[in-house]
Amino acid sequence: MNAHKKEVLFTILMTLAFLLTAHTGLLFSLFPVEGYMFGFPIMYIVPILLGWFGILFLTIISGVIGNRIDEAIEKENQEELSKHNNEGAV
Amino acid sequence: MEEQLWQLSNPLLGVFFIILTFVLFYVVSYISNRQSKTVQDLYVAGAGVGPITNGLAMASTYMSLATFLGVTALILRLQVPFILVWIQMVLAIPLITIIYGVCLRRMGAFSPTHFIRDRYGKTASIIAALWMILVCLMYALGQMIGIAVTFETLLGIPYMTGLIVGGLIIVGYVTIGGMSGATNNAAIQMVIIALMFIVPLGAIMKAMGSTGWFFPPLFYADMVPAMLEAFPSFFDYQFSVKWYFALIPAFTIGALGLPHLAMRIYTASSLKSARSAMIWFAFIIGLVFSATYTMGFAGVYFEQSTGIMIADADTDKLTIILNMVYNPEWVTALVIAGAISAGLSTISGNLLAIGALISQDIVTTLKPDLSSKMKVRLGYFSIFLGGIASIILAINPPGFLVVSILWAFGLAGVTNAPLIIMGVWWKEANRFGAIAASLIGGIVYVIISPFVFPSIVIGGHALTDGMGISGSMFAVPLSFILLIAISYITNRIPSLNDTGIRDEVNKLVERIHGWSLVNPNRYNNNIGAFIALAACFIVMIWALVPWDF
Repeated sequence: MNAHKKEVLFTILMTLAFLLTAHTGLLFSLFPVEGYMFGFPIMYIVPILLGWFGILFLTIISGVIGNRIDEAIEKENQEELSKHNNEGAV
Repeated sequence: MEEQLWQLSNPLLGVFFIILTFVLFYVVSYISNRQSKTVQDLYVAGAGVGPITNGLAMASTYMSLATFLGVTALILRLQVPFILVWIQMVLAIPLITIIYGVCLRRMGAFSPTHFIRDRYGKTASIIAALWMILVCLMYALGQMIGIAVTFETLLGIPYMTGLIVGGLIIVGYVTIGGMSGATNNAAIQMVIIALMFIVPLGAIMKAMGSTGWFFPPLFYADMVPAMLEAFPSFFDYQFSVKWYFALIPAFTIGALGLPHLAMRIYTASSLKSARSAMIWFAFIIGLVFSATYTMGFAGVYFEQSTGIMIADADTDKLTIILNMVYNPEWVTALVIAGAISAGLSTISGNLLAIGALISQDIVTTLKPDLSSKMKVRLGYFSIFLGGIASIILAINPPGFLVVSILWAFGLAGVTNAPLIIMGVWWKEANRFGAIAASLIGGIVYVIISPFVFPSIVIGGHALTDGMGISGSMFAVPLSFILLIAISYITNRIPSLNDTGIRDEVNKLVERIHGWSLVNPNRYNNNIGAFIALAACFIVMIWALVPWDF
């Protein structure tokens, strides 16, 4: 897969992952659950935990992948440029 | 019911700590900004801020006075639904960073409208800049009023005196500090906010009998059974699926359009640094936000367990009231200083955004030949002007202010976010679509708000309409539809299709993603645009279906 496609796919998938993680309230309003976790109702504590640690985890993942995609774009860009310059020279 | 007067018995204690923090902020501003010689220094701190400072500054700028005053009050009124509103607020910086922040940082933008000017031309950028000035003014105005009200109600200083003296001191420190001073100060303010909020909260929880007082953000499960007994409906979701869905256009997309948040990313020293700052932001904002939910929980618990009901007019002071009840007075004075710091960091971010919008996005757009020295002077003048305007507006504040900051999120989401998102990811987006989206979308959003025409609203629930939740669910997709449909159509009308402009746009879009050459296959996916168009249409229709409360 080329760097452009990776970049687009990464942005769409990470955006969806961020939305789902921070909008757990929406998911629970669709599919309510009963019960307790760590002494709190599940529908209360899960959104709070995901809204903090879930998002923190995703920022770490997106930071790592984003940096890798930057490197892939840079590499592909250099290849495009050298190809373009060679064609120009001919 | 007996009316309680919540005020420090020794206001000088509060005044002392506030003066101390102001002196600190002035010194930091002076030291930080001595090197500001260009507009790049003034607005993006020379694009050289490290990740920890930037992450803390991002969190501090985002966390307004509302963290201490408004949020806990709304938890008291709405309980868990408002906690769920606030949880998704954490998305602002991560989504700005991955969707367009690094692209605009690569471009070297000063503000989001700087990108809009290069992408769509002068007219679209001036329209967007005017909307953004309104958003920033509403934000800054809310903080100014909050600070003056804090002075008045908790320290006994008359509102006008607090507003004018406090306001001028704030405007002074932002103006002399520029972005560099504001960033360093915001990082310090974040530490003050976290300490002054969380440590006293631990003491409050201990006094309430919680065994988890040593980590207030999460360890209060032992209070849950008592809460369920006293207030069984506290954990109820109350609202429908539609209400929770509407939070996405209102606040998640809304935050993507806030200029003072986006500008923080442009200050990063590199793209890697911007991404690292996002991680620090998520950590610190999660910590303080979680503590905010605990404070709201403790407020409801306090009311239910003691039988002392906090009057409606005093709900904004919940954090301070709990400190007055359970902690020594000097601790409450420190908490008030922390609340003022939270307001200051947001005001400084907003005033800098107003400065950039007026001087760079409006005046420099109309008069591009100004010298660099003149641009810097104009910048300082614009920051000062924005501050003075917010002080003057705060003299006679509008009544809808408590929720107006949240309403401003929607306005940013309607008038700014679609232009930036589509502009970065879809080459076909053009100036006709952008102008129509920002202008028509913005006007429709204002019309369907309860503040202008109270009878023309979509939801029919005062708080839902007032916070812009129902209005955004209609106007944000409308704005995207206008942008996509009008751009697509006008690009196929030869008389409106300037190939010179399109070539420049194509180069810009490729450049901000890191490419040197233009490839027609990149960022040109019409299928994606049509899917977005269809999704927006469905959401817009859903917004018109009667709301169930």
